[in-house]
Amino acid sequence: MRSEDRATRVPSPTADESAEALLRAVAAGDEQAFARFYDLVSARVYGLARRVLRDAAQAEEVAQEVMVEVWRTAGRFDQTRGSATSWVFTIAHRRAVDRVRSEQAGADRVRRLVPEAEQTPHDIVVEEAAAKMERESVRRCLKTLTVLQREAITLAYYSGYTYREVAQLLDTALPTVKTRMRDGLIRLRDCLGVEVAA
Amino acid sequence: MTSPLDVHSLAGPYSLDALDDIERELFEDHIIACETCAVEVAELRETAAMLAEPTWAVPPPRLKTAVMAQISGTRQSLPSMRPPTRRTPALRWRHRSRSLVAAGVAAVVAAAGVYVVQELRLRDQRIVAQAETARIESVLTAPDAKLRAVNVDGGGRLTVVTSDNRDEAVVVLADATEPGPDKAYQLWLIQGSTPKSAGLLAPDQVSGMRLVSGVRGTNILAMTIEPAAGSLVPTTSVKAQVPLTG
Repeated sequence: MRSEDRATRVPSPTADESAEALLRAVAAGDEQAFARFYDLVSARVYGLARRVLRDAAQAEEVAQEVMVEVWRTAGRFDQTRGSATSWVFTIAHRRAVDRVRSEQAGADRVRRLVPEAEQTPHDIVVEEAAAKMERESVRRCLKTLTVLQREAITLAYYSGYTYREVAQLLDTALPTVKTRMRDGLIRLRDCLGVEVAA
Repeated sequence: MTSPLDVHSLAGPYSLDALDDIERELFEDHIIACETCAVEVAELRETAAMLAEPTWAVPPPRLKTAVMAQISGTRQSLPSMRPPTRRTPALRWRHRSRSLVAAGVAAVVAAAGVYVVQELRLRDQRIVAQAETARIESVLTAPDAKLRAVNVDGGGRLTVVTSDNRDEAVVVLADATEPGPDKAYQLWLIQGSTPKSAGLLAPDQVSGMRLVSGVRGTNILAMTIEPAAGSLVPTTSVKAQVPLTG
């Protein structure tokens, strides 16, 4: 990765620095690197929390917890197991899901199915071209799934339902839901060209 | 719950955080010993994380201010000496789940160099673990089983499934913060105001599952950080407590 942009010392989300390099610097206690890393991931951490929790104030709390956890545990990031951004989004997703599950009693959650069409309002942002392309390809690849694969995956990921709840919501057998989640993810993986050098 | 051969099929739900705490723990036990599963799960998790891309929404600027202020006073954890998805056997409470046989075989093949040692160790563990797994399943499937979960102070979750009829509980700790050098998490059953030790984790251990006996008539299951050798009574403030009545 090039690093001329660093000479300007302007923390910028478009700085041409890899997320992995930033995270390594964060692990060494570099607060400026952390600020740049924050700029790189915060819109997705916050957006994801807001999507799962459907509440801006709670999303803000969760995003703060996540970013502090990133600072605290950056040393545990293992590049052979995946990218730095997916490491952060995995932490963020888990936190958001834990919160949404602990707040709502299991029985009520399933009845409270929210229309999937609901989207976070599209804020005006300075968008990085690459990130925008990734968003578009995720949307495009989701469309290549079967209806059941897509519903199973999006209900679990964006609404935080367990696969048992998803099975109930979709009125589908448990083994089918498990399998559709897995083969749907495999199809997404191939469509997005995701590889992990393990 | 799932049968042994079923565990592998949880890779999809696991990657989407769509398992409950107990199944997640079982699945993590499984992937520790199964290298092909670990690679698949790494790829599926990476894929699942891509789903965060379209959720993009700019947080209010005060969030960055708050985060930067908080991190400058927050101590960082030491780098892990091992990849995060793999824990060494010594650091684990219960060594193999119901996936024991399949997973054990995979581990032996992978570690061909230490085949004999591994096989002996696994065989011993298998006997102990099978008995314990059966007891754990009995608690989880007991008609009077109750599940309660709380956040651990500083991070992580403590989940407890109790069965008064069986007088046993299954305790699952997930993703707690490191207890510090020469310290370990210790569990307590509290009856009235009298605490009794319900088990000590390995130093550094931040996740795991354990079977606890003698829960009937106790009010609270609590967790504290103690010296690595354990304490007779809690000596520090409680990091998590789960009421067992009501």
